Amino acid sequence: MKRKTNRSMKMMLTALLASSAMLAACSNSGGNNHSPNASPETAAPSTEATAEATPGTSTGTYPIKTDVTLTRWLDSSYVAAQLASVPEMENFPFEQELAKRTGVKVKYVLPAVNQAKEQLNVMFASGEFTDIMEWNFLTQYPGGPEKAIKDGNILKLNDLIDQYAPNLKKYLAEHPDVDKQIKTDSGTYYGFPFIRGDDFLKTYGGLIVRKDWLDELGLPIPETIDDWYVMLKAFKDKKGAAAPLTFISTPRLFDDLQTGAFYGAFGVKRDFYQEDGKVMFGPMQPGFKEFLTTMRKWYAEGLLDKDIATVDGKIRDANMTSGKSGASYGLAGGGIGKWLQAMKDKEPAYDLIGVPYPVLNKGDKPKFGQKDFSAPSGGNFAISSKSKSPELAVQLLDYGYSEEGAKFFNFGAEGTGHTMVNDYPTYTDTIKSNYSLNLGLYTRATGGPTIQDRRYYEQFAALPQQQAAVQTWGNTDVDKYQLPPISTTPEESTEFAKIMNEVNTLVDETTIKIILGTEPIESYDKFVEKLKQLKIDRAVEIEQAALDRYNSR
Amino acid sequence: MQMRNKMSVRQFLLKDLLRNKLLYIMMLPALAYYILFQYGPMYGAIIAFKEYSPAVGIWKSEWVGLANFQDFFSGFYFWRIFKNTLLISLYTILFEFPAPIILALLINELRSKKFKSFVQSVTYMPYFISLIVICGIVKDFTNSGGVINQLFTYIGGDGNAMLQNPAYFRPIYISSEIWQRFGWESIIYLAALSGIGQEQYEAAKIDGAGRWRQMLAVTIPGLMPTIMVLFILRMGNLFNIGFEKIILLYNSAIYDTADVISSYVYRKGLLEFDWSFSTAVGLFNSVINLVLLLLANQISRKISENSLW
Repeated sequence: MKRKTNRSMKMMLTALLASSAMLAACSNSGGNNHSPNASPETAAPSTEATAEATPGTSTGTYPIKTDVTLTRWLDSSYVAAQLASVPEMENFPFEQELAKRTGVKVKYVLPAVNQAKEQLNVMFASGEFTDIMEWNFLTQYPGGPEKAIKDGNILKLNDLIDQYAPNLKKYLAEHPDVDKQIKTDSGTYYGFPFIRGDDFLKTYGGLIVRKDWLDELGLPIPETIDDWYVMLKAFKDKKGAAAPLTFISTPRLFDDLQTGAFYGAFGVKRDFYQEDGKVMFGPMQPGFKEFLTTMRKWYAEGLLDKDIATVDGKIRDANMTSGKSGASYGLAGGGIGKWLQAMKDKEPAYDLIGVPYPVLNKGDKPKFGQKDFSAPSGGNFAISSKSKSPELAVQLLDYGYSEEGAKFFNFGAEGTGHTMVNDYPTYTDTIKSNYSLNLGLYTRATGGPTIQDRRYYEQFAALPQQQAAVQTWGNTDVDKYQLPPISTTPEESTEFAKIMNEVNTLVDETTIKIILGTEPIESYDKFVEKLKQLKIDRAVEIEQAALDRYNSR
Repeated sequence: MQMRNKMSVRQFLLKDLLRNKLLYIMMLPALAYYILFQYGPMYGAIIAFKEYSPAVGIWKSEWVGLANFQDFFSGFYFWRIFKNTLLISLYTILFEFPAPIILALLINELRSKKFKSFVQSVTYMPYFISLIVICGIVKDFTNSGGVINQLFTYIGGDGNAMLQNPAYFRPIYISSEIWQRFGWESIIYLAALSGIGQEQYEAAKIDGAGRWRQMLAVTIPGLMPTIMVLFILRMGNLFNIGFEKIILLYNSAIYDTADVISSYVYRKGLLEFDWSFSTAVGLFNSVINLVLLLLANQISRKISENSLW
């Protein structure tokens, strides 16, 4: 008897110990990323509101007289580097100056880095909104902006913009193409946009090749797929590159090629595009098979990175700066600029060049390439439907579209952010000494509610290699073939997402298996059959309807 | 007879309540905790049968019956993710579950106290490394040119990134799991080992048992209740493979073996804000887990007379 109680006692203790160990494990894995700022108390909108903003229309004069504090939410991964040196976003010199100029105090509520989507999700589910939320409601909110409004998460802004945002209103009247991009099909405004104010600012990524290797081997700048083959082969055989061509495959396979590099030579992309107003799905087109065949050959001959399916940004950078790879996809800033900087002292001869998107026949113009829209994220500064002072939020956001405001967003305050040299706003030495950190502290030239100025990019991408690369990459027919920022109806979007989730899995899986050689090239035909089973035709139909609606906006 | 029995039970309870008033009061907070935080949220599980939208709330969201479950079961990849989840779980139990037991037995046999605590510290260190770092290390080591990959080429590997080969995913996943957890998990067993009475060992010695015999006849039987409890608990978690480690390690080349229910739901439910769908899958997992837990408990009671209740 005694032995038995003893035993069951032991048992219970063990269970207790085990479960507490598990609990500890849970809190360990889940809790260490939480930003102390993201507590629900601070997420309540306008808790400190004591007075309403003056009603009526705004003439656009700043600073506004108010003692309301607005709350703002944004994906903190954009400011992660800055937060590491100035832990409170309110203390960024830019934010402090902005508060002074607009007269509006702002409290930021930031999600843990890389958990923005989950935490936005939680914010919507809990009903504890901030006044202003920065999010791409066009592509990153299932059902799109109309659904977000219908769900009661964000406000329809048409009347508010009409009454309180004279600067944005003026800009949109002058730029109907931008206006079209930030409205929904039914003409609803749902947020303030970040606008790229010049074509020069819209292209910033493309293929990059080791210029010093090209010169050494006496090779021309590659234009066609055949040129690329010869070049990669030479990199492998003569320069000993273990992975001549490398690029990023996270989060989706071949993510770096999503704007159409290499695919484009065969007339396709990995997803939707248009030809003469007709929506096409790349993997269904014959060109896709040719793309697979070429890549398969390159992989088999060791020209494509052996680890291609697992390459992330860190590995790619390491490959490009160690002589393991000689060609990749990258940005003017985060690729050319970063790698040249890294190799400046180590290997003075190291040089890079941005090369055109490859084509099949010499002299062809590339069909696709990286090019942003004027409003790349649509209207991504939205106002919560629970906000107590939406008028004030609109007035705050409108500041960036005034002449003075835009200058401040792009170049910071005079003295700390820039100095005027021959009427040209030149970044201060503080900013120039460390663009990646200090641009984010003293300005909001990228991603803010403002109109981006080309003079920002002229200075940020000042290296001759960068300037030349942007020109080279920009020379494509992408305007003709790229889909504009269309949106599906809320009803269709669930169906579309359901289809595309499985389609994308199948596309990625088949692509990599054929390229690695685990499946024969002939399985492409079966793959097309499977795509049809997954109702890809219905998805194309939905996109087509969305494109038609967009064109008739 | 039946009636009288019932009455007496009620009377007995009442009497007991009065007699042990204080004890029952002490139990209240714990009871409140369970009702508020464990049973209360179960109400939310009904969104698995609705098309939930936070704006209208749980109750007012539209009923859709079993549509979410249907979606899940009829998914193009349902059988693959089901199979992968099950296999990874089973292999984990088969290989990872015994590892801390063996480690605990080995540590128990060590004479030097210093060396013992040194071994313990070293083996449970990996447990405190962030998962992201662990997965980064695993990826680095198994990529072409990585340490593990290099070693592997000596015994017939082809030198390509190992995480691109579906056949290697499970071994990599499970061995890294063992490496990270076995030290930590052995602590419970070590605690149980120290509870085995020395007199039993002495008795065994007198009977002429060597160390090996002692382990078989005394240590392992003494450890058995602990092992069984942990085993049953583990069975209750069979279908809970966290998506974090999977999505950090997998890529489209190895979906065949690596894509599991949770990573699929992550791609589909969480990133698409599809609360109802995710809940439906969660509910499905919980039901399976509950059945397995009951089954394991039953079997264990039959075979070894050890059980949770």
